[in-house]
Amino acid sequence: MPISRRAFMKAGGLALLSLGADPIFLDRAAYALGRSGRRIAGRKTLVCLFQRGAVDGLSMIVPAGDSWYWQERQRIALPKEQLIPLDGMFALHPRLAPLKPLWDQHNMAIVHAVGSPSTTRSHFDAQDYMESGTPDVKATPDGWANRYCAHAEEHANTPFRAVAFGPQLPRTLAGSAPSLAIDDLRTFGLRAAQAGGEQKLTRAFEELYQGAATGLVASSSAESFEAIQMLKSANPTSLPPSNGAVYSRTKLATSLSQIAQLIKADLGLQIAFVDVGGWDTHVNQGSDQGQLASRLDELSGALGAFTTDLGARMRDVVLITMSEFGRTVKENGTSGTDHGHGTAMMVLGGEVKGGQVYGRWPGLAPDQRYEGRDLAVTTDFRSVFSEVIQGHLGPIDVSQVFPGFAQPAKVGLFG
Amino acid sequence: MRIRIEFLVVGLAAGIAIPTAAQAPMTTRDSARHVLNRLAYGATTDEVDQVIHEGVLKWVDRQLGFADVHDPALTTGEARFDVLHESNDDMQALLQKTQARNAQVQSIGDSVERQQAMDQLRAEQRGDRRSLAVLDNQLAALVVVRAVASDHQLDEILCDFWTNHFNVFINKGQDRAYFADYLEHTIRARALGRFEDLLLATARSPAMLFYLDQSESVADASATRMAPGGRRIAINGRPGFGRGRPLFPDPRPGVYPPPSGTGAAATATRQQVAPRAPRGLNENYARELMELHTLGVDGGYTQQDVINVARILTGWGIDRRDASFTFRAAAHDEDAKTVMGQPFDAGHGEDEGVRLLKMLATSPATMHHVSAQLCARFVNDVPPDGCIDDAVQAWKKSGGEIRDVVRAIIRSPDFWASANVQSKVKTPLEFVASAVRAVGGVPDSTPRLAQRVAQLGEPLFQHQTPDGYGERQEDWVNSGALLARMNFAVQLASGRVAGVAVDLDRVVSATDDHAALVTAVDHAILGGAMTAQTRQTILKELADVPDPRAARALAVGLAIGGPEFQRQ
Repeated sequence: MPISRRAFMKAGGLALLSLGADPIFLDRAAYALGRSGRRIAGRKTLVCLFQRGAVDGLSMIVPAGDSWYWQERQRIALPKEQLIPLDGMFALHPRLAPLKPLWDQHNMAIVHAVGSPSTTRSHFDAQDYMESGTPDVKATPDGWANRYCAHAEEHANTPFRAVAFGPQLPRTLAGSAPSLAIDDLRTFGLRAAQAGGEQKLTRAFEELYQGAATGLVASSSAESFEAIQMLKSANPTSLPPSNGAVYSRTKLATSLSQIAQLIKADLGLQIAFVDVGGWDTHVNQGSDQGQLASRLDELSGALGAFTTDLGARMRDVVLITMSEFGRTVKENGTSGTDHGHGTAMMVLGGEVKGGQVYGRWPGLAPDQRYEGRDLAVTTDFRSVFSEVIQGHLGPIDVSQVFPGFAQPAKVGLFG
Repeated sequence: MRIRIEFLVVGLAAGIAIPTAAQAPMTTRDSARHVLNRLAYGATTDEVDQVIHEGVLKWVDRQLGFADVHDPALTTGEARFDVLHESNDDMQALLQKTQARNAQVQSIGDSVERQQAMDQLRAEQRGDRRSLAVLDNQLAALVVVRAVASDHQLDEILCDFWTNHFNVFINKGQDRAYFADYLEHTIRARALGRFEDLLLATARSPAMLFYLDQSESVADASATRMAPGGRRIAINGRPGFGRGRPLFPDPRPGVYPPPSGTGAAATATRQQVAPRAPRGLNENYARELMELHTLGVDGGYTQQDVINVARILTGWGIDRRDASFTFRAAAHDEDAKTVMGQPFDAGHGEDEGVRLLKMLATSPATMHHVSAQLCARFVNDVPPDGCIDDAVQAWKKSGGEIRDVVRAIIRSPDFWASANVQSKVKTPLEFVASAVRAVGGVPDSTPRLAQRVAQLGEPLFQHQTPDGYGERQEDWVNSGALLARMNFAVQLASGRVAGVAVDLDRVVSATDDHAALVTAVDHAILGGAMTAQTRQTILKELADVPDPRAARALAVGLAIGGPEFQRQ
């Protein structure tokens, strides 16, 4: 029977506290106790994809039915004949064509005019708020996804429960619950100059840490060696892409292919995080060709390969895209767009009620805009995150994940 | 209390084992190792013995600057860094040049051509010793070189502490040009000086004024300001005047004077930065000033105090022409304000900001908050009350002299308590610097070693939020980061870390007597702190390594990558 973290705290925590052990260590040790180390078949996974730099939601998901779009974007508006219509109002950027089948199969939803209540147009403040999940509160020490892990299903931890692909743990996953930062699954672990030296080093360090490590260093190193062990036995990097999926060689595609491998290997992955930059298109943004088109090409190619690879397994997966804010409605003097407010998010998954654009469209007329210049925000990003958590990962009191966010609005992504 | 400290001092000076606050015996060797771990970036070869020879407290006082610290190694090391010879003006010009060149490339219509031009530009910038990218990278490299090579170790530790306390994110726009000056002349010059001077210097630094948007904060339209001659006028978006200068002469940020280059590129840069005139009060700096820099979040101030502090500081800005501090009287709110019960009468200008900062610098809440942070750095992640009290007493007595406050912390029984020895996990910078020092490594002037610090989780000067890097173990310990430390250790011991020259012969002799080897490694790398389990494990791993040099590299790598070396 799994032991819950709270039960552990009650039973053994006080005794340890009296020995001077720190609470974080207790938390982590409790996680270790509750961890199965076994594989978890069919676990629900949430993949968070952060488009850093503020994507132009109006080019990504084009409000073709709003005449102001055409009026304000003489140079960067997409050619009408190339747009991929979604409904009477919205259309996909042509470079998002690989996603159209998902839309048609109702496995892809869009939330438009989504964003943060914070008025900041600073990339770093806005990213910080979106990752902490607490707009305009800088003091929040941890990220929203870590708070989810700290408050839900703590009995079902595995070393791979929360994984960020990159050299550092992003703010989204920072906090007291264990999470891994993996730059590349193929090189995670110890490296040796001589072939075959890895095993010797791994054994030596594992023994060193078992013998002399204390506190958080002990629990974290145990997590590392457990992860190395699990990787060795499950060998997820040997799993080839399924269903004829072809990943390109970009960092994003590689990370998504490794996320798919972790999912297919049933290593208990519940929250995966990956980010991709290049969206800060102030100058020569382009329309069907150019900077933004190239980025969207890379994005949709990677997402297309990922969903194809997972196939039926997408039933257990939801992927959401997010970006710190959107860009100005009107193109600027250098055929680009400046920092704005609302943008669009994509939600992909087998259980998503797809084929719909969610959120109230505020309109692009000057008096409908935020501060007269930007797409207004009609859906708080935390409403989307809350719904994805509740509708996909399972019931939880989301006020523990988004403190101070009293009432998430119903978006409708899961019916 | 006094008797106990005197006893401690005498005991240490005499080199005898003495009881600490927790009544556990601490040898002189333990004490020397402890001060080198906490007040320095670890021990270099034989440094524990040198400190014992000098006397632990004599060494401490020398580090505190009560006696001279000669630093020939550092002087030689620093000579290689061009960034130390650049002025604020130079950096500003470089930033403009960089922005103009970027805009030029971005304006190329064809995407393939543009990508080629961009690749070429990046290569040029990497190859140009005077490009902004290279110079900013040098600052991070310099931190590592100083941490490794400086004899004035405590000063380096405090520079790191204050850089985090008054955090500025180097990659925020103009701060790319302002940061070098901030680090060298604002922080480093005052790391062991008076807190009030340091606070005022950061408040006036272009780096901080830009980072926390203070330079954008202007009095609300309803406020009044002083016209020349003392007449009070409502501020209402009129063209600026006063001191013969327009209120905001330059479009923000970073395009004064307009960039050179093609017309298109110049326009591009201007458009890119979206000029807009500051419109009102910005509370960003005011809030962080009280929450982070001085009083602490529970320091007893209200939202109205934040607003009033912001009002008092309106007008504190940057003169973009020479990247210096300027006070713009025309942007200043001259109405009366109250901050935490203290009245600030109407009709004042820059002087009331100075008065406010002095008030904050000397507030009891500030003394407590900053002392607690210093104790978290030097004593324990969760600092005991005793050392905080000792620090606050010294603060009051000395009027906020940082060296006196730090000295009081070091002399506090809590500093020496066995519960606090080896209780802190090294930050990535502390880990890398102490590892390099332990193997007698010599870093070069490339940013490669600083990049390793970044890979371990601490890209220097790149903490985006104003709180700076954390001081607690949970800020640094995660499974990926620990594996990265182990890999670094193994690579360093076998001389495979780029950017540092290692000669193990100077540290431990190669021998096929494994027991002697492990003893020597314990002495040289861990200062004698190796546990019996670690010793057994290393001996076991050496058993199938016949080559003495390979055995030595393995033993050193395991010692540095092992659990004892992660702590300080």
